[in-house]
Amino acid sequence: MKRIWWLLLTTLVLAAVVLSACSSGQATPAPQQESQQQTQQEQATQPPQEETFTFGMLLVGPYNDHGWSQAHYEAGQYVEQKLGAKMLYVDKVNPADRPGTTPEQLAEDLVSKGAKLIIFNSDDMKDAALAFAQAHPDIYVIHASGDNAWKDGKDYKDIPNFSNVMGKMIYGKMIAGCAAAMTTETGQIGYLGPLINDETRRLASSAYLGAKYCWQHYRQKDPADLKFKVTWIGFWFNIPGVTSDPTQVADDFFNSGYDVVLSGIDTTEALVEAKKFADQGKKVYAVPYDFKEACQEAPDVCLGVPYFNWGPLYMKLIQDAKDGKWQSTFIWAPPDWKDINNPDTSAIGFEMGPALSDEASDAVTNFIDELANGLNLWVGPLKLQDGTLYLKDGEAATDQQIWYLPQLLEGMEGQSVPQQ
Amino acid sequence: MKPRWENLAFATAAVFVALAFTSLVLVTAGASPFEAYWYMLKGSLGSWSKISDVLVAWVPLLLATAGLLITFAAGLWNIGVEGQIVLGGIFTTWVLRLLQDSTLSPAFILILAIAAGALGGALWAALAGVLKVFGGVNEIFGGLGLDFVAVALTLWLIFGPWKRPGIGSMSGTEPFPKELWLPTIPGSRLSLWALFIGLVSIAIVYFLLSGTYFGLKLKAVGKNPRAAYLLGIPTTRYLMMAFVLSGLFAGLAGAVQVTAVYHRLIPAISSGYGWLGLMVSMLINFQPAWAAPVTFFFAALNIGSIQLPIVLKLDSSLSGVLQGALVLSFLLMGGVRQRWLKKHQQEASDD
Amino acid sequence: MEIELRHIHKYFGPVHANDDITLTIPSGSIQGLLGENGAGKSTLMKILSGYLRPDAGEIRINGSPIEMHSPADAIRFGIGMLHQDPMDFPPMRVLDNFMVGYPEGLLLPREEARQALLDLSAQFGFSLDPDAYVESLTVGERQQLEIVRLLWLGAQVLIFDEPTTGISAQQKEKLFAALHRLADEGKTIIFVTHKLEEVEILCDQVAVLRAGKLVGEAKPPYDLDALVEMMFGKVVTKGERVSAPLGKPVLQLKNLAVESHRIRIAGVNLEVREGEVIGLAGMEGSGQRQLLRACAGLIRPVEGEIWVDGHNLTGKPYHDFMRHGVAYVPAARLEEGLVPNLTLLEHMILADEQRGLIIDRQAALDLTKERIKTFNIRGRPHSTIESLSGGNQQRALLALLRPGLRLLLMEHPTRGLDMESAIWVWQTLKRRCREEKTAIFFMSSDLEEILHYSDRILVFFSGQVSEPIPATETDIEQLGQLIGGRGFNTPEEATP
Repeated sequence: MKRIWWLLLTTLVLAAVVLSACSSGQATPAPQQESQQQTQQEQATQPPQEETFTFGMLLVGPYNDHGWSQAHYEAGQYVEQKLGAKMLYVDKVNPADRPGTTPEQLAEDLVSKGAKLIIFNSDDMKDAALAFAQAHPDIYVIHASGDNAWKDGKDYKDIPNFSNVMGKMIYGKMIAGCAAAMTTETGQIGYLGPLINDETRRLASSAYLGAKYCWQHYRQKDPADLKFKVTWIGFWFNIPGVTSDPTQVADDFFNSGYDVVLSGIDTTEALVEAKKFADQGKKVYAVPYDFKEACQEAPDVCLGVPYFNWGPLYMKLIQDAKDGKWQSTFIWAPPDWKDINNPDTSAIGFEMGPALSDEASDAVTNFIDELANGLNLWVGPLKLQDGTLYLKDGEAATDQQIWYLPQLLEGMEGQSVPQQ
Repeated sequence: MKPRWENLAFATAAVFVALAFTSLVLVTAGASPFEAYWYMLKGSLGSWSKISDVLVAWVPLLLATAGLLITFAAGLWNIGVEGQIVLGGIFTTWVLRLLQDSTLSPAFILILAIAAGALGGALWAALAGVLKVFGGVNEIFGGLGLDFVAVALTLWLIFGPWKRPGIGSMSGTEPFPKELWLPTIPGSRLSLWALFIGLVSIAIVYFLLSGTYFGLKLKAVGKNPRAAYLLGIPTTRYLMMAFVLSGLFAGLAGAVQVTAVYHRLIPAISSGYGWLGLMVSMLINFQPAWAAPVTFFFAALNIGSIQLPIVLKLDSSLSGVLQGALVLSFLLMGGVRQRWLKKHQQEASDD
Repeated sequence: MEIELRHIHKYFGPVHANDDITLTIPSGSIQGLLGENGAGKSTLMKILSGYLRPDAGEIRINGSPIEMHSPADAIRFGIGMLHQDPMDFPPMRVLDNFMVGYPEGLLLPREEARQALLDLSAQFGFSLDPDAYVESLTVGERQQLEIVRLLWLGAQVLIFDEPTTGISAQQKEKLFAALHRLADEGKTIIFVTHKLEEVEILCDQVAVLRAGKLVGEAKPPYDLDALVEMMFGKVVTKGERVSAPLGKPVLQLKNLAVESHRIRIAGVNLEVREGEVIGLAGMEGSGQRQLLRACAGLIRPVEGEIWVDGHNLTGKPYHDFMRHGVAYVPAARLEEGLVPNLTLLEHMILADEQRGLIIDRQAALDLTKERIKTFNIRGRPHSTIESLSGGNQQRALLALLRPGLRLLLMEHPTRGLDMESAIWVWQTLKRRCREEKTAIFFMSSDLEEILHYSDRILVFFSGQVSEPIPATETDIEQLGQLIGGRGFNTPEEATP
């Protein structure tokens, strides 16, 4: 009997060693080191006496997703450094990754660890953020991408400890549209859209406005000759069997004469497919979305990327909270027109891609300058896709009109409202 | 050695092996195992609110496990349990959506909705049963297929007919009004009604399997269908009943997820409790008496492990590592024990 | 090689399985080891072949004591054992199996082994195909393979544990011839059995074990009654042939035809009456089993009709037959008759009539205790069925039968039982015939059993069925010839 036991134990220990060696890649999360470094930095930079302000962040995806969640995570780190605050976070806050938990519950966990302010980083957490804010009036709540704190919005809820932040990505999309219009040779631009809602209509339309402006004014062409088509896949990323396959959609664009595809989804199919077609000798390009370094995946076909920079926005709100100056607010922040890529001041930016020609790049720079100097493309006359008047001649759209854009604009191809 | 001591010794050995293995993983990940276990303990049982969160997660897991114990008794691997939970969630949501604007009393609507959930799970399980019993499709493959269909159905509903006004969102359907939530203890997310459903269900299953002709016949069918048939048990009918009953409890789990946890239909409505329930069932060697404590322990691990990413920056899937290691080491010890017993038995009943 | 067992003791918990056994086995002889189930024979042999270690005592070979820790040690000392259930590796080919246990190095001399296998087989008149799969062999052939394998490994002492269970008469003849030959070559043969007639025709001397003790030794000519008395501690007799008075017809077969993938039997007409016992004789696989199964509704007949108590049940499922008082007792106890992992108590509950939904444990326990007593089962209500010995499982199987059955269909009712148990089983069966007017329809490979207990006999020969023969009008020889195919009327059946 003894022999068996020893044999068993040895095998087990051996197996454990081997397994753990193999799995250590997964089991050892990267932030281990990072956070240690960080705490060291914190200890070094921080005045020892002052009480550190702790804030919590709930990330819908992995903290290193090269997209939406990573942008938030890095913003949190930015606040930590600049403000000497301490961030607690939980990533993958979604029912698929954390079965049996709810965002409220996780937020409470962060509070019990000392967090005074909680950031909910996804539209999907809207209900949870509201419920949590109402249940915990002593904790500040920031919900990124919602509109419930907007007094002039449609869904205003009077919750003093609740604020919304969002960058004015409409400008990023206009610039992206301009880059596409300056590059296209066929005059056909495709837009790979996620699902249809106010936000996505708004962004697709902004891209169209930017494209149309540069097409008309810089390339001196007739807007009627510009084709701009939106195809919605149904969600922010591919769900086989549920959404359309973005790879397929991108291929269809490239195969039917669309030589630039703007991505409105969270993943990089447009870029990947463009690269595939370019490798076969076609001159096609793509513009990704969300994350500053997205072009790196296929620089040769990347015209640039509009991205979010949450750092300055969080910085301001957390600073207010820390100083006791908090007020419920809705922030829809434009870029810093002095330098849209300034990490300390600009809420959104546009990183030019290697595939953008010098000529086009000059035009895009010029376009940005014009915007900075007050060029407003959301100005009449503009009609909605079905021909109804949206803005009278000379009439500038209000924030509400833009935020709650009911349809795509005239001149764009594609669905305006989801099929019922 | 007396059997009881023997069992205890093997169980302790299994727990020890699992802990040792997990500790090893933790050490390789550069963390102190004791610290990790301590935070997990604190994060699950450290306060009343934590305990209530554990109980919230415990109920659906317990229900799923209760259902699985029935199919296991009949010798069936009801892998379709995930899909049955999902269908329970879908049916419950469906009834709530149909009736939420009606004048019926919320309590009545809730009862109907939960009953519908049980029905949904039972129907989905019956489908796996028909495939198995009449179509000759192994229940593992049939169940797996139906799991996928169920998930696809949820996604289609959430992004299609049941999507929130204007948007389709991974966050699920529009939350139901508060009146249609199972009432909770003030200041917590725990619903005593859900707890009640869970406890009554496991008690029923325990009694069914240990005290009734039905349970005994089911066991006979599970252990030796040919002999059971010769003993006069209508085997196909019992197999079907096992599926239906199992699905019923799984469906209840889905109903509880909708009415007491998420208050809407979400894409991952099952929370993986079906898979976890399968693990628990194996771990407890299909003994209903152990279902309640072990599922509680697993729920506590799930909840407690959230501390790992927050405090130690470790991936919380480590709780999964521990859970998996526990099951494996128990199975392993079971094997060792069987060999050991066999040897003794062989010697004892020699000749 | 001369084997000496000296003062061997072996305990299993409180059970003293071998109690001070001292036995000398001279080389070049066939030593019988006789005893009823549980007497300690197998334990002693497992000790001799290295599977078990004695708690006390020693083993000597040619006068010098030896120490063994495993069967491999034993084979090094030249001792090899053939188990009741030959321990081979079914998915292998014969040749591969033959070479299992070959001790030297990694390189297996396949060609040499093949030649050795063929030579050894030829010596004994075995026909083993080196390239056949082991699973395709009969039990008898597996036994032959095991014999040549052990010989090739150098066995000087061969232990046979109940080797005649489950093999055909021809194979038995071959086996016995082989044993004599081996003994003549100077090998030592130990033959473990509970069958007196085998001892009588085979063994040069016999030792009898009872309850762990060596109770006596004998040499030919054997006094069988004395051996029986040694085995059981008392005199046992089969008793007189008894027949129950016959009543009205229970089972009627009308021009019945049954088919299975290997065999077809057709044109069976038979009427079985209350209290009557019909024995089905024939080589294994001649169609008896198919007919029995058809009579229980487990196989659907392709032609003809089955009537039970005046009801036409042709094509109805088994459970309908059950409702008309038909019960089926399969030979494969743990595969078909009983449910492993369930206890004796649970079996009783399952077999008993269901009363309500909830089990009355106390009533069931009382019933089980009573049945355990009546049926003389060595086991407790909470013993799992597989923990019982084969004989006790058979008793349990009989204890599960409800009272008041109309027709009892049985495959090998006493297979694997010692004589005393077999006699007891038939006493209880006959009592059913007498008191409950149950008709019994059974198959057996033991012609004596068939002849002794049946009223009428059907003989099967590769799918053909004889007319019912009244048991009083025939004898073993005639039955043996019929089983072999001689005496069937139609010309085409002469080929086996």
